[in-house]
Amino acid sequence: MKHDILIAGVGGQGTIFASRILSSYAMAIGLNVLSTDTVGAAQRGGSVTSHVRISDGEIYSPLIPRNRADVMLGFESIEMLRHRKLASKDTVYILNMHKVPTTFTMMGIDKYPSDDEIIEAARRISEKGYVIRATETAERLGIVQSANVLMIGALTKVDPFFSRDKVRKQVEAIAPKFAAENLKAFDAGYELIS
Amino acid sequence: MAEKRFLMGNEAIARAGAESGVGIVTGYPGTPISEIPQSYLEYPWIHVEWSSNEKVALEVALGASLCNVRSMPVMKHNGTNVTTDFLMHLNFTGVVGGLVLVSGDDPGGLSSQNEEDTRILVHDYAELPVFDPSNVAEVKDMIKDAYSLSEKTKLCFVVRPVIRICHSRAIVECEEVVKPRPAEFKDDRARFIMSAVEVPGYGGIKRPQLRHRWLNEKQNEIRKIMEESRYNSVEPGEGSIGLVGCGIGYAYIKEALQYVDKRYPVLKLCTLPLPESRVVSFVKNLDTIVVFEELAPVVERKLKEIFFDRGIGIKVLGRSGFLPSDGELSPEVVLEAIKKLDPTAKAEELGAPELGFQVPGRMRTQCIGCGYRPMLHALKLVSQKHKGIVTGDIGCHDAGSYPPMELQSTIYCMGSSIPMATGMAFAGVNRPVFSVIGDSTFYHNGIIGLINAVYHRAKVIALMCDNGTTAMTGFQPHAGSGVNIRGESVPTVDVLAICKALDVPVRVVDPYDIKAVKNALEEAIKDEGVSLVVSRRPCLLLSSRQGVELLEPSPVEVNTDKCTGCKICINTFGCPAISVIEGKASINQSACVRCGVCVDVCPVGAIEGEGYKRAGG
Repeated sequence: MKHDILIAGVGGQGTIFASRILSSYAMAIGLNVLSTDTVGAAQRGGSVTSHVRISDGEIYSPLIPRNRADVMLGFESIEMLRHRKLASKDTVYILNMHKVPTTFTMMGIDKYPSDDEIIEAARRISEKGYVIRATETAERLGIVQSANVLMIGALTKVDPFFSRDKVRKQVEAIAPKFAAENLKAFDAGYELIS
Repeated sequence: MAEKRFLMGNEAIARAGAESGVGIVTGYPGTPISEIPQSYLEYPWIHVEWSSNEKVALEVALGASLCNVRSMPVMKHNGTNVTTDFLMHLNFTGVVGGLVLVSGDDPGGLSSQNEEDTRILVHDYAELPVFDPSNVAEVKDMIKDAYSLSEKTKLCFVVRPVIRICHSRAIVECEEVVKPRPAEFKDDRARFIMSAVEVPGYGGIKRPQLRHRWLNEKQNEIRKIMEESRYNSVEPGEGSIGLVGCGIGYAYIKEALQYVDKRYPVLKLCTLPLPESRVVSFVKNLDTIVVFEELAPVVERKLKEIFFDRGIGIKVLGRSGFLPSDGELSPEVVLEAIKKLDPTAKAEELGAPELGFQVPGRMRTQCIGCGYRPMLHALKLVSQKHKGIVTGDIGCHDAGSYPPMELQSTIYCMGSSIPMATGMAFAGVNRPVFSVIGDSTFYHNGIIGLINAVYHRAKVIALMCDNGTTAMTGFQPHAGSGVNIRGESVPTVDVLAICKALDVPVRVVDPYDIKAVKNALEEAIKDEGVSLVVSRRPCLLLSSRQGVELLEPSPVEVNTDKCTGCKICINTFGCPAISVIEGKASINQSACVRCGVCVDVCPVGAIEGEGYKRAGG
């Protein structure tokens, strides 16, 4: 078996922490993991991705090859779409409808696509998708920093590969200092998808 | 007692060093290797330092090695370029205690000013042996082997991980760490005095030639070692096409072959020099081989040489034209190559949908509330007014060269801003020439360019951005920070004190105070020769992580009646917390950090608030 997860977002959204939760879960259930994150200067407001590759056998490429992503998590409205080549019609995605404008969209040089355009584009990638408002929900709960964990909570609802309880335990174990906020976000994410 | 851990490639490299009994770790920060020295901090007995620059790092490391202590200098590819002069002596003298140079490459220039293949410098030029890891577990083994081989051969070994190895996390076996040996220095002037002295008994030849002869003879010894190396291997297959994978190229081949219905023979080559007899036996029944390597056709050319010398007729393809000659490899590059070469191969292809729109590109910029934004804004206003030219340098301020600011006209390598400005001034451009340089870059080698400019009375205005840290690569401390990598208090080498010692005009400003920066720059333009403006405020992001308040919160709001929609706050200043809604500026209050600076940016006073207030008055 193999399970390849792409997380796409903007620097500062906590994609690396989210990738750590998924990797720790995979190890806890006795599987092999290879992951890679964007680190360095690109983290300052640039596009960032984490590739998490899980398998019961050997994993070679740290990058998910074209069309092989089983899951895509878009932490920002357009960042997941940037990596559509990694998806196939079987990819399950969760898209956080949260717009972070780019320099060029602010200057009016590029156009930031509308919600409808984004939802339609995501639908073209795969039928198995969910569009949620993770950042908005986390903001309302006063835990905006945990929007990343909210996305992971939502993932455990839609992807049977991830056991809700066991992933939740990892959330608690990895960052005990922020366990209260993170677990609140995790549960909210789980509930957000019906 | 072996134990499995989930480690980043960079952490695995440090762990391997600790397990090898490394006593000294040196380096200069830069993606992809910044995490390596930091990962050594859990071993309190190891001396770890962020050196002033990479040449210094290599020199410190060799000093330790000559005392029989194992050392690890760590740098990114540009940094390895900086070591070149010393490297071309170290290769002739050899080492005593194991010395393993870790040089991280960034094919694709994902987080660099250029892309290049350091194997050319360290192997083709310096003739040092190289390991090119294909995965995280392997880089750990390679480091450990490199230490014992370095001592066995007396040569500096180089391990060249690419960014994807440095930043990958994988499960690796960890063993016991080993304490370093006690230091012991024995004179060996015949080796360590690199000078043009005649060596008795060799017919009048001088030492450099003799040491070169030593290095040449070493090549046979390391060839034999690499012939037996476990990092090179053959996987048999069918047909007349063979795939050769070097370092991460091997991982991409293995990944791609899972999706192809054919079993091609694979040769894994992760060492330099190459294992010649294994190479020759691999191609016995083949007519074509394709070499997948990052980034230049280094192995490809060596294979051609081996086959030419032995009269073997075989087609060798790779980075010299058949595959892309620039950018990163990927499993897709391997699949494309297979399709091109073998029309009978079938690979499952699914395609990607069209989205109906172009996904807008995203560039990095300064953080919201960063002092560099108002400082650069002030420089832009002054420079525009006087039709100035601004040369840039490496650091967070370099994002001022991108839209919307588009201030700096040049960005090259560490420390080039002031010398390039000097050249422009002496060329007689007849416009004010400014340069922007950060503190870490100043210590790295910017200081040398400044000394040169002062010496020649160059008409240059240098804006020194002193934020107390190496912010862009992750807040590594430097000589001016007052702390070392372990956070211990150390002497501060003060940028300002150095600037003052040069006996040229120095003006100190608060980067958030746009008016003050402008005034200082206006005055500096009138100075003869070099004039320095030192902008001093700690990095906001680092301060907030340390719980230090830099700014008195100063909320702002847009008065839409006053806002004319001129977009200066967006198209010139470019704070990501300001956008335009229905033709008027609008503050994104959840992103805004309340620095208040934009009050001074708006020409019609439409951004209302009390403006910037320094914390603590």
